[in-house]
Amino acid sequence: MSKVVEISPTTRHEGHSKLVLKVNDAGIIETGNWCSITPVRGVEKLAVGKTPEQVPKIASRVCGICPVAHNLAGTEAMEASIKCEIPKDAKMLRHIVQLGNRCHSIALHDILILPDFYIPGTETKINPFTAEEPVRTVAKRIQRLREISQTICQIAGGEAIHPSNTRIGGMYRNCSELAKTKMYDLAKEGLVLAHAQSEFMIAVIRNYHKRDFVDVGGMKVPMVKELGYHNQGYLATHAFYGSSSQEECPSWDINRFKEVRPWDWYMGEMEVSLEEPRYPIGGTTKIGTKVNPQMEACTGIPMYDGQPVEVGPRARLAVYKGYDEKGTQGQNIAREMEYQDCFYEMIDCIDALNPNGKVVADYIPDGDGSLGWASNEAPRGTDVHIARVKDWKVQYFSMLVPTTWNFATCSAALKGAPWQLAEVIMRGYDPCVSCATHMIVIDEDNRLVAQKLIE
Amino acid sequence: MLYPEIVIVGCGNPLFADDGFGPAVAEEMMKLSLPDNVKVEDGGLGAPHFIFTLLDPEVTKRLIIIDIADFGAEPGSIAKFRIEDLPPGSYRDAHSWDLTEPLERIKDQIDITVIGCQQKYVSDPEMEIGLSDEVSKAIPKTVRIVLDMIGVDYGTTRQCLQEERQRGTPETCGSTEIR
Repeated sequence: MSKVVEISPTTRHEGHSKLVLKVNDAGIIETGNWCSITPVRGVEKLAVGKTPEQVPKIASRVCGICPVAHNLAGTEAMEASIKCEIPKDAKMLRHIVQLGNRCHSIALHDILILPDFYIPGTETKINPFTAEEPVRTVAKRIQRLREISQTICQIAGGEAIHPSNTRIGGMYRNCSELAKTKMYDLAKEGLVLAHAQSEFMIAVIRNYHKRDFVDVGGMKVPMVKELGYHNQGYLATHAFYGSSSQEECPSWDINRFKEVRPWDWYMGEMEVSLEEPRYPIGGTTKIGTKVNPQMEACTGIPMYDGQPVEVGPRARLAVYKGYDEKGTQGQNIAREMEYQDCFYEMIDCIDALNPNGKVVADYIPDGDGSLGWASNEAPRGTDVHIARVKDWKVQYFSMLVPTTWNFATCSAALKGAPWQLAEVIMRGYDPCVSCATHMIVIDEDNRLVAQKLIE
Repeated sequence: MLYPEIVIVGCGNPLFADDGFGPAVAEEMMKLSLPDNVKVEDGGLGAPHFIFTLLDPEVTKRLIIIDIADFGAEPGSIAKFRIEDLPPGSYRDAHSWDLTEPLERIKDQIDITVIGCQQKYVSDPEMEIGLSDEVSKAIPKTVRIVLDMIGVDYGTTRQCLQEERQRGTPETCGSTEIR
């Protein structure tokens, strides 16, 4: 008889989500639902009536981890609507910022997934914060890679977190010859480190998936060969950057996209009937708790040609490079394989950048109300922004963020896996669920008692 | 190095009304000409992973965080907190970092101060742009406090703070006292 188990909140990724799993007597998932419980609310409404300059800045604030992708996709959706072509050097600077952001994100994802894996040849799980070798060297390399990537983002984008150099029609400033040289040196250093890092990661990922059993909170869980397999398709709009033209990117056609409500897709009300206190970080939800993914899921389900699709590094490699490794293993390896490619591409972009070239379009139209879209290949997948601008005012704005694409696809990929490994499958998607704000709360006695997460 | 000796970070989300206080102070401070060993950063929602986990204690000696806080005072009041004062979980990215706290890891090597402004209104979950008047008026005072903390005399900084001190205690900057 099926039992219901809930893992909430899921950990080691950005944002707030949960897993509701219907499992059989052997603990194998029959139906899995991964749903966001923090939606992006109201950004579309907030954008209407603002200037095209303001909206990408607003869009970049919905998420704490991919402000770069949202900023670039937002800016380019506006440019697509007003039909403004930006100079080549502005494009290069944007490519550099975007690649810098991706290189940082891969390193960050490595830290988040490392605790699932073992040091090859041992039964020791990896603690990325330990001072012991060989992990210490890896942690230092990850930190250096993050530092390099963020420094490059800062030079090309103006600020490391929220790029302030982007504007409608190009970039505010080009960089100096000296800054270009510095970015070049950093990218070359990053390339060597990325090579070593991806080799290490691919070794530990393969080691993990070759095991017969893996440990989860002291439980011995059988590893399945098809962990994370699904039969949904892939969607990618560029090997590295993105596009805003269907001629340039025939793989994304807005007319083939449609969104359905979560209640058509997720399970209805159920009661938790399986509880495991040993499950890491506080155990699973208590028996008897009512769950209702249909009502709790906050995102719509995007469909492409009537089906949910996977976006992200594996989709990019599958679409553009013929990559065919499947499952969670294939997904994590694809991300590592992108690492060096990103640095090679970054070096090419820096090479092509002319610091004396102009970075703002000569003419920036006010917009005639045409529909424009732009996709940006964020680290975790295709981020599509759609906009309509008329007389320098935004009339319509919509964001289709990467993890929204992956919710339904990942839910399908959970089937057949031991429920204890559901989070491992989910982390393979490097999810970024828009996060809540927070503030420090003090009680009436003016003593600090708790932090409240506002949800 | 990405982050120098003194790092000033404005935290919060401008899409949730007063939660945008930190980034608004950071924006003001970026207009100032500050010494090379000081960096002002708009951390937005990403400070735990973009900044706090990327600080090198051998280089960075001081971290000043600007954020909103609810300590039951009049909106716009400002108070300084040390990491020890904060409840467990502050600046923990609860869903990202395996429940580790980046500030706990660095607090013994880096001098960390949180400057909290009592918010009036946080619109979450609805999005609303714009600070309340009370919180908006706290921006110049916060800038002065930060400048005083890092020893930068920007004309009127020190004099104004001395006036504040006559009214309140140095630690609370003329606002509610935190026990």
